[in-house]
Parts: sequence; structure tokens; C-alpha cells
Amino acid sequence: MTHHPVLRFALGAVVAAAGILAAGCGGGAKEQPILHVYTWSDYVKPELVARFEAENACKVVIDTFDSNEAMYAKLKAGATGYDVITPTSYMVALMHSQDMIQPLDRALLPNLAHVDPEYLSVALDKDMAYSVPYMLTNTGIAYLKSKVADFEPTWAMFDRADLKGRMVMLNDMRETIGGALKLLGYSLNSTDPKQLEEAGKVVIRWKKNLAKFENEQYKTGIASGEFLLVHGYSGDILQVQAENKDIAFAMPREGGVLSCDDLVIAKSAKEVKLAHAYINFLQDPKVAAENTEFIQYLCPNKDAYPLMSEAIRNNSAIFLAPEIKAKCEVLADLGEKNALYVKVWDEIKAAK
Amino acid sequence: MKRSRFPFVVTGVVLVFFYLPILILVADSFNASRFGGAWRGFSFRWYARLFHEPDIWISARNTLVIAVVVTFLSLILGTTSALALHRFAKSRLQGIHYTLIYTPLVVPEILMGISLLMAFVAAGIKLGMTTIVLAHVTFCISYVALVVLGRLRDLGATGWQATRRVLLPMLAPGLAAAGLIAFTLSVDDFVITFFVAGPGATTLPIRVYSMIKHGATPLINALSTLLLALTFTMVLVSQRLSKSGALEGGQ
Repeated sequence: MTHHPVLRFALGAVVAAAGILAAGCGGGAKEQPILHVYTWSDYVKPELVARFEAENACKVVIDTFDSNEAMYAKLKAGATGYDVITPTSYMVALMHSQDMIQPLDRALLPNLAHVDPEYLSVALDKDMAYSVPYMLTNTGIAYLKSKVADFEPTWAMFDRADLKGRMVMLNDMRETIGGALKLLGYSLNSTDPKQLEEAGKVVIRWKKNLAKFENEQYKTGIASGEFLLVHGYSGDILQVQAENKDIAFAMPREGGVLSCDDLVIAKSAKEVKLAHAYINFLQDPKVAAENTEFIQYLCPNKDAYPLMSEAIRNNSAIFLAPEIKAKCEVLADLGEKNALYVKVWDEIKAAK
Repeated sequence: MKRSRFPFVVTGVVLVFFYLPILILVADSFNASRFGGAWRGFSFRWYARLFHEPDIWISARNTLVIAVVVTFLSLILGTTSALALHRFAKSRLQGIHYTLIYTPLVVPEILMGISLLMAFVAAGIKLGMTTIVLAHVTFCISYVALVVLGRLRDLGATGWQATRRVLLPMLAPGLAAAGLIAFTLSVDDFVITFFVAGPGATTLPIRVYSMIKHGATPLINALSTLLLALTFTMVLVSQRLSKSGALEGGQ
């Protein structure tokens, strides 16, 4: 009988595992509908989710992804179970072309009347046929007020030799080449090889003054004063500003990148009605205002703007001046033409 | 003749290389600054905030439940596989078996993640905790089998009687080591888990990765420090256990 303990151990493990397997397959009793949201981390105010749950007698389960591409790869391979997803606009366009998201039922979305028409005029899905803009950010320039003399809101700042080695640009070909295209007065969705070549030369010129191309550490770098001027996302900069009051943010007068994460409903969604209700809820002006205060990104909801605090409304990183906003563009999915950018970017990376 | 200092210096440098980043992480978890670039005073604020983040705790719970189940399952399957490999070392079939056990160690994670996801989708298995457990067991078996196999070769025992009476008790430290490896691999796997995770089954590594974009990284530092404390305690306990086990075995 010496092997009894071993047997018992094995049995225990099997029972425990069976428990998990059963729980996994059974999926719980059917008393409350569950809405599955697949989104970025910390991308909705938790109290608002609780309110939605109470109002709709449902449960909201939020899962997170860390990049559009990873999320796309996973869903493309066949993963299902998510109802509402929040990809960035260019990815929404791609998912739409691959038939991975479903058309919206406008009858269930009365609050879409509040969505800012000014933003919609530059959006990729202008009619909100399959996506609703959720949160808007822009890419611009942050700098230390006390260290950068004669700051001008222009992409030409990266030509300033006196800041050599203390500036950083994003390690993102569309963002950085886009900045150069804007400086030259072209569209940042340009697919004209000649314009791209010109822009590539500008970035190669800038590269001599840059410490590096980088997407994450620039926040720490400008907070601690290691870098004096960085190209970065407004949402990131606002977080850093809370810690170092010397940091200012400016949108270049030539314009820059607007980027928007959209609410979409997956083709395979089970709770389609509830998913519409959730999107409608987030576009309620009061909810949108509260959410913007929490995330510090702008929900493009025109009737929510007056409800936001002074601090947000007077923040030029969140509310852009109209003449600059008019020059900003949303990054479009270029499909095959993307290769043109890859080629220029490779040349930039290889340049000394 | 004086002993060379060289090995001592090399050991020191290697240890610093291993542990300095961890020490920085622990120090930063007490840094009042959100970005950790500069020291802005000692603070428990991130720990305090950590206790008000239900999402993180749900992910932590998912991770631990998965890791415990994975450890149990892969210990059983991996050990039996090692026993077979050892007992019938000369057979052709076991040669194939060995290759199959060895393969997951060299297959790129991203390939394994996507192919497992496609297999689950094709088989109509609902994605969730179950699929994560199955995926983790798939690669943990290999590690367990190889660790236990190594121990078996050291012992050199054969036969079922020997297995039962001598081998299993003698094998205990190897099993403990293999179990710890399986547990750790399961806790920190990101790539495969990301693909096979279903709705409601977000684990800690997935949450931590996604927090880099929007969330507060110091929260991750605080959480990692707590996990480190837990891991170190576990390693200490298991060392104590295997030491006393070895003593008993020796008597």
C-alpha cells in the first residue's frame, strides 16, 4: 500500500484540474448577460462601467491587449468571444476590409448625434457605419520651458543644432516621416515617392541632432531633464506634466498626427444589443466628459465639451487651436503602399 | 602561491548583472515618482493604490490558479514520460517520444501560440482559462520530463519495484525542482498565453504588458516586488525541504 500517497496526490490533481476544465466549459449560470470588452489597459473610468452594469443588469468583463497588431493577429487566427473592441482607426479600416467587424445599428445609438462633426470630417469612417470614435490623441512636441530658448511650435525645431543629442523622436515610421511631410507642406498620408524621398532627407538631417528614435523611455527622459525636447503622444506628455511642471506641449503649426481609437463590434459578438447599449452609453455627453477627465484623452463628443473642467478645456494639448486642428490628419491604412514608407525608413535607419 | 582573484571578480560582476535590475525595480516601487527617472522621495503610494485595483488582483488570481493546475498536471505527465523514456531507453519508439518531448523547447513561442490557438478554434474549444492551462501544460511537460530524466540517469535505478520503493522518494528533490520550473514558466509566459487566452482570462503578464501603454508602471514595480518576495520565500522553503529530504534519504 506504499503507493497510496502518490495515487492520492495524482487523484487530487485530476479532480482540481477537472474542476477548472468544467468551470471553463460550463460558462456559469445564465442569469446575467455578460458583455466582453477587449481594449487597452486603464481605458475607461471604472465607476462608469459599474454604472452601466447597474443600469443594464449585466456584467462587463474587460480584457486587455497591448498593440493593435497583436490583437489583430489573435482575432484573425480565429479567437472569438469579444463583443466590443477599441482598435486605432487604421486598424479598424483593415478589420473592416477583412469583414471582422459588423455594421452598426444606428437605431440603437441615439447618442451618436453628440459626436463632434468636425472630427468626423477627417475621420476614416465619416458616417460611423461600423465604428464610433472613442478617444482622440495627437502627436506633437514636448519641451522643457526653462532649458529651450526661443521655442517655436514647428517641426523645424529638430534642426536646432544647439539641442543636439538632447532630442528624441518616435521610433515609428509613419509618425516621424509624417512630421517631415508636414514640414514640407505635404499630406502625412502621401504616397508620392518623390515627396517621401524629400521627407526622408529631412529626417536624415534631423537624425544628426537626435539622441535616438524611441517610444517609451522618452517620458522618463524628459521628466528627469535628460532630454530637452521630445516628439511624443499628448496622452503620455500630460501624465509626465503632472510631475514636472517645467514641461510644455505644443502642436507644430504645420499640423501633425491625430489618432483615434474607435469603438467597434466584433463580427462574432454574442451580445450585439448590449454592445450597442455600451457604445451608446459611452457617447452620453455626461459620461463622455467624465471619462475624458479620467483618461486625459479627448472623447470627440461636442456636447460633452462644455461639461469638462476648465483645466481640460484650456489645455492646448487636448483642445487644439482651430487653425492647427485644420492641418492635422488621421493616419490612414495605406495597404500595399506602406512599403514605400518602409523603404524610406530603412534608408533613414541606415544613414550615418 | 596566492589564489587568483579573477574567479571571485567574475562571480561578483555576474551577480551584479543578474540582480541589479531587480534591485532597481524594488527601489523604484518605493519611489514617489511615476516615471522612475529621478528619485522623488520614499513612498508607499503605489502599494496603497495596488490594493484598490481589482483588475490587477483578478489577473493575479487567474495567473496563480493556472500555475497551480499546470504544475500538478505537467508533473504527473512529465514524470511518467521521463519514466518511460528511462525504462525503455533503447527502443525506437522512445526515440521518437524523446524527440516529441524535446521539440517544444526549441519551437519559437509565437509559432506555438498561433498554432495552439488555431487548433483550439478548429476543435471548437471555447477560449478561456482551460485553453491557457492546456497550452502551458504542453510546454511544461517537456521541462519536467527532462529535469526528472536527468535525475533518473543519475540514480540509475530500473524496474517498477525499484521505481516505487526507491525511485519516487529519491526523486522528490527532482520533482520539486521540476514543479518549480513548471510553476515559474506558467506564471511568466506572455506570448503563448496572449494567443490562447479567452475573454475573462487575462493573466498578470498580459495585464502588465498592456499597462505599459496607459497604466502606471510603478504599480507594476510594486506588484513585482510582492511577487519577488513570494518567489524567494518559495525557493527558500523548497530548498529547506529538499535538504531535509536528502538527509532522510541518506540515513
